Amino acid sequence: MNDRNRNIGEYIPADDDNIIVCRCEEITKGEIRRAVHDGMFTLTEIRRYLRTGMGLCQGQTCTKLVKSIVAKELGIRPSDLEPATGRAPMRPIEMYILAQDGEDMK
Amino acid sequence: MKRYDMIIVGAGPAGLSAAIESAKRGMHVIVYDENAKPGGQLFKQIHKFFGSKEHKAKIRGFRIGDELLAEASALGVEVVLNAIVIGLFSEKEVTVKIDEHVEHVKGDTVLIATGASENMVTFPGWTLPGVIGAGAAQTMMNLHGTLPGKRVLMLGSGNVGLVVSFQLMQAGCEVVALADAAPRIGGYGVHASKVSRCGVPFYLSHTIVSADGDDHVTGVTIAEVDKNWQIIKGTEKHFDVDTICLAVGLSPMSKLCDMAGCQMEDNPSKADFVPTVNKYGETSISGIYAAGDVSGIEEASSAMIEGRIAGIAAAAKLGFITEEECNIEIEKQESALEGLRQGMFAPGMRGKIITETDEGVEVSQNLLKKGFVTEEEIERFPGVTHSEGIHPVIECTQNIPCNPCQDACSKHCIKIGSNITALPAVNPEAKCTGCGMCVASCSGQAIFLVNEDCGDGTAEITLPYEFLALPQKGDKGIALNRNGQKICEAEVVNVRTAKAFDHTNLLTMKVPKEFALNARFFKKEA
Amino acid sequence: MRIQEHPILGTYDRGEIVSFTFDGKVLEGFEGEPIAMALKNAGVMVHRYTKKEHKPRGIFCAIGRCTDCVMIVNGKPNVRTCITPLEAGMEICTQYGVSAEPSNGGEKK
Repeated sequence: MNDRNRNIGEYIPADDDNIIVCRCEEITKGEIRRAVHDGMFTLTEIRRYLRTGMGLCQGQTCTKLVKSIVAKELGIRPSDLEPATGRAPMRPIEMYILAQDGEDMK
Repeated sequence: MKRYDMIIVGAGPAGLSAAIESAKRGMHVIVYDENAKPGGQLFKQIHKFFGSKEHKAKIRGFRIGDELLAEASALGVEVVLNAIVIGLFSEKEVTVKIDEHVEHVKGDTVLIATGASENMVTFPGWTLPGVIGAGAAQTMMNLHGTLPGKRVLMLGSGNVGLVVSFQLMQAGCEVVALADAAPRIGGYGVHASKVSRCGVPFYLSHTIVSADGDDHVTGVTIAEVDKNWQIIKGTEKHFDVDTICLAVGLSPMSKLCDMAGCQMEDNPSKADFVPTVNKYGETSISGIYAAGDVSGIEEASSAMIEGRIAGIAAAAKLGFITEEECNIEIEKQESALEGLRQGMFAPGMRGKIITETDEGVEVSQNLLKKGFVTEEEIERFPGVTHSEGIHPVIECTQNIPCNPCQDACSKHCIKIGSNITALPAVNPEAKCTGCGMCVASCSGQAIFLVNEDCGDGTAEITLPYEFLALPQKGDKGIALNRNGQKICEAEVVNVRTAKAFDHTNLLTMKVPKEFALNARFFKKEA
Repeated sequence: MRIQEHPILGTYDRGEIVSFTFDGKVLEGFEGEPIAMALKNAGVMVHRYTKKEHKPRGIFCAIGRCTDCVMIVNGKPNVRTCITPLEAGMEICTQYGVSAEPSNGGEKK
C-alpha cells in the first residue's frame, strides 16, 4: 500500500502551503508536503523529521490533520497510513517528575 | 504496589457507569481522571437527552452526571481527580501522575474510557485568539459562566455544532451563521430546526476561507465549495464576528489502548482508530476493556451502556458473578444499546444518503440543506394533523431513537410504538387537554400545541422557550416562522413554568389564524 | 462577558473576588476559576506569542489539551491557564516563545 519505490511525483507548491498545521511547533502544510517528497512516507518519520506533534501538546490537535495531508500527498487513504507509535507518557509531563519515578521503590 | 479489581481510566459517562456496575457486584474499583472535575463532558451538556426512559431520556446531561456521581459515591467508588494516566504496561500495570509524583498500580481488569478529542480544520487565521473549539465554548459557558464572544460563527452542522449553537444563544451570544462544507446537515433535524427558527442562517457546502484580525478575530469570510471541496471564487461572504467556533467532529482518544498493545482497527464507521472489542467491550488483551467514545464515537447515552456492559463483564471475569448472571444482565443492556443504534443516525448509516423514513415518507430536503422543514413538506409527516381545538403538532421528521413524548401524554394522543425510532404520530381518537407535557418533554423541542382557530380570527401556538429574559403574558412582539423570518405580529397570552417542565417554559402566543401553521417562535420586539 | 443568569443553569457558584496582575496591571477575577476565564472577562485575548513566527495565541480548547493558552504564572512558563485555578496575588505574564525569559523566545515585533 505504502510502497516506497513508487513515484509520487514532484512537490508542487500550493496557495495554502503557509498554513500552520502543528500549532505548537509551528510546522506548515507546505513543510509537511515537502517532507513527503523528501522521502518521509510514514507518520513516525514525519514526526521525527519535522517535530510535528512533538511540541507541548504532544499531537493532541494536529495528529489527524498531519495524517490526512500525508495521505493525500501519497495518494492513499488516511486509514492506510499506520499511526505513529503510541507510548508513555500519554500526556506531557515534567521531566523531574519522571526522574523521581521509582525512587520510593529503592 | 496497590492492586484493584478494576482500574478505570476516565470518569466520564462510560467510566462512571462501569464503576457503578462493578462496585455493585463487590469489586474494589478505582477511577482516575485527568480533569479537576469528574463527569467527562456530561456537565457541559445542558440539553435534554434523547432515547427512552432506560437511557435517561429527557433528562439534561448535567443532571445525569450528578446522578452517576451520586450512585458511584454511594457504592464507595474511589474517584481520583487531577490524576493523569501516563501509561498502561504489561500485566495491567498502570502509571498515573498524581500531584508531583508517579504512582504505579495494578488492576486485575482495566477499563479504558478516555473518550474523544475534537477534530480541527485549518484555514488562514485559524491560530488567532477567538478561534475556538465547540467544546471550549461549552466549557466556558456552561461550567465557568463566561461568554466565548458576542458574535459567533459556527463551523460544523453535526449534533455538536447544532447543540452548541443553541447553547451560545441561550447564554446570550449572537450566532451569525452556521456553515458546513458538507452538502447536508449532519446532526439531528430537530436540533437544526430549533437553531433555524431563532433566525440563524445555514450555509451548507460552505467553508471558512479565512479568519481576519491582527491580535484576535474580528471577522470571518466563508465561501461555497464545489464537489471536490474547492472554494468557488465569487461566492465569498463576510461576517463581522469576534469568535469562530469549530465543531468538525470527534476522534477516539485511543492511544492508551494502542500503547497497551490492544489490537487496533481503523474503522470509518467508528470515526477512526479504535481498539477492536468483543460484545463485552473487551479488547484483544484479556481483562482490558474499552467503552464509550474511545471505542467508537457515539452519544453519551450509548457510552453509559457500554460502560455498564464492561463493568458487568469484568465482574464475571473475576468471579464476582456467575457467567449465567452476567449473560442475563448483559442481554438487557444490549437490547437497550440496540435501541439507540437504530434509525437514520445509527453508526452504520454514516455517510449514507437517506431519501425516505422507515415509514416511507419522503424526507425533507430543505431540512437537510437549510435547517428547517418547509410548510409544504411538514404536512406529510404523521405528527402533523389538523383538528378543531387545541392539539399537538409534532414536527419530528427523522427516525431518531427517542420516545419521551409518547409517555408524556396521559391522554395517549401521541403514538410511537415499541420501535423507538419510529416517527411519532398523532392519535385522532384521543383528546388533547393542552397540558403541555409533550412540549416540555420533547428533547428536540419539536412539539407545539396549536389551536388553529380560536373563533375570533386568531390562532394560539404554544412553544418551548428556553431563553432569558422570559417574555411575560401581555408582551407584544413578532412571530417567526421555521426559518426565523418575521411573519406577523404576536402577543403572549400565557407563559407556563413548572418543575416537571425542567426549565423548558411553555410560551403561548396569539397570531392571526392564517399564520397558525407556520408561526413557530416568538421574539420580543426590540 | 460574564453570564449573570442562565436560562437552564441559573446562577453560577463563584469564588471570592481576588486581585492578580497581568503584565503588571492589576485585574480582578473569581478565586478558583481558571486563570483564562478571569483574563477573558477582563478583555485579555492574547496569552502568548509563538517562538518562530511571533504570532498571538489564546484560548483554543479550554480543557488543558491544546496548550495554546500557556502563560508565565508566578515566574513559571508553559502553565495551561485554562485549567489552572486563579489564586489571589498571582503574577501572570504574557509568554514569548516557550520560556519565561521575554528575550529568549523572541520578542514580539
